Amino acid sequence: MASQGMQRAAREVKPILSLDRDEARKRVLNLYKAWYRQIPYLVRQYDIPRTVEQCKTKLREEFTKYEEIKDVRLVDMMVIKGQMELKEVVNNWKQKGHIMTYFKDTVEPKPKDFLSKFLQGKD
Amino acid sequence: MSGIIKMTTGLTGLAVANNPHHTLGILYSKILRTLQKMPEDAAYRKYTEEIINERANVLKANKDVDVVERQIGCGQIEEVIVQAENELILARKMLNWRPWEPLLKQPPIEQWTWPPAQSNPKH
Amino acid sequence: MSVLRRLIPVAARSTTLLNSLKKNAPRAFATEVTETPKETRPSFRKINQSSVDQLKDFGRYVAECLPKYIQKVQIAAGDELELLIVPEGVLPVLQFLKDHHSCQFSNLVDIAGMDVPSRTNRFEVIYNILSLRFNARIRVKTYTDELTPLESCNDIYKAANWYEREIWDMYGVFFSNHPDLRRILTDYGFEGHPFRKDFPLSGYVEVRYDDEKKRVVVEPLELAQEFRRFELSAPWEQFPNFRNAKPKETEEVKTEKSKK
Repeated sequence: MASQGMQRAAREVKPILSLDRDEARKRVLNLYKAWYRQIPYLVRQYDIPRTVEQCKTKLREEFTKYEEIKDVRLVDMMVIKGQMELKEVVNNWKQKGHIMTYFKDTVEPKPKDFLSKFLQGKD
Repeated sequence: MSGIIKMTTGLTGLAVANNPHHTLGILYSKILRTLQKMPEDAAYRKYTEEIINERANVLKANKDVDVVERQIGCGQIEEVIVQAENELILARKMLNWRPWEPLLKQPPIEQWTWPPAQSNPKH
Repeated sequence: MSVLRRLIPVAARSTTLLNSLKKNAPRAFATEVTETPKETRPSFRKINQSSVDQLKDFGRYVAECLPKYIQKVQIAAGDELELLIVPEGVLPVLQFLKDHHSCQFSNLVDIAGMDVPSRTNRFEVIYNILSLRFNARIRVKTYTDELTPLESCNDIYKAANWYEREIWDMYGVFFSNHPDLRRILTDYGFEGHPFRKDFPLSGYVEVRYDDEKKRVVVEPLELAQEFRRFELSAPWEQFPNFRNAKPKETEEVKTEKSKK
């Protein structure tokens, strides 16, 4: 009974772009490929202190970070946002600082063990 | 025409109509024909037919554009033409939308209550 | 406390100014005011009952013409007509209000968003439109949640383009068929939608210029707890006369549907 209700509720929601998981997956892969192909141009365009290889690793990392997300609509929404971000890169709307934000090279890792926590003065 | 040739409407982007009686007559008959396709008891059809018939009668009864404008009382004849064009587009779209049907869905409970906290003490 | 004390002499001076104003006030306004001498809230705009009745009639008229989309018609704040519609009906209702002979609301004044997290559909999107022909304003409200797209009304009102981008940027409501939906107010790479109620006041990240890197860097925000308390209320009361003045109750306009 409950599963029926769930199914009906799932059918009633309005899709954003994709109708099922496969379609959503295709969209994600397309976005990934588009970013992947952009990376060599990106590195040259923005003059960032990273190689193409490092950028590709980063790209993979950024995508696998969200691999837990299975909801089709959520995936669609993230693909839309990723697409917009790619457009910002291609059109040179972003600047070097924005690109380097992905690498978080100034962020210090959070202290894990007691001593480093103590040294940082955090509880 | 009332002797003097009208040079301008005084409105940007709105040219003087050459033969307003002819244009309006065609537009009104087109609108009425579109409305014919709607169900008899649709309120939109009823009211629009009323308006259009009234204007069409004024148009038929008077040859003088000034008198027509004054009797319709909705701006210059060129503006009346624009209004008729808009109505025609709207009527054609309405055929697809079918707004005379019963309400699509009820709002969720608490959707339109304000303030939200007072009406639902649980939250 | 010290701030308050410093303010006292200023306040004392301003009371004398106020008194002189009060003395002169009746003479200054004598020409305008003819009747209704007992007005306790002079700065409130009067509500014209006949125009409200007209608005109610108009609301009923629209509800009768579009029964499929209009859930509720109401008069808010005394004399403002509001149509509450289903999300699917945004295009038909706006098109009707724009193109119908007796509406002609050809001017989109603003699109606003609203977030009420306790509701199932947490976002409200509000269209304010204006009819120059009939000198009337009307408000169309609809609702959506984080993941349900709304139809873009860019084809009907060209002005909607930027307004919808703003709603997308601030609330994350997606508008389908928008020609150019992207951020408009936030910085590139900005994460989150700042007008959502669950967005923290200080944001998630802080941005600063790094002298070593010679560029702007973005770092996750770590704010000490003692700085996290924000005192938003002013130490003095801005409108003491209106402390207990409630806004006018929203009044539902009975339509054919609600009678049944």
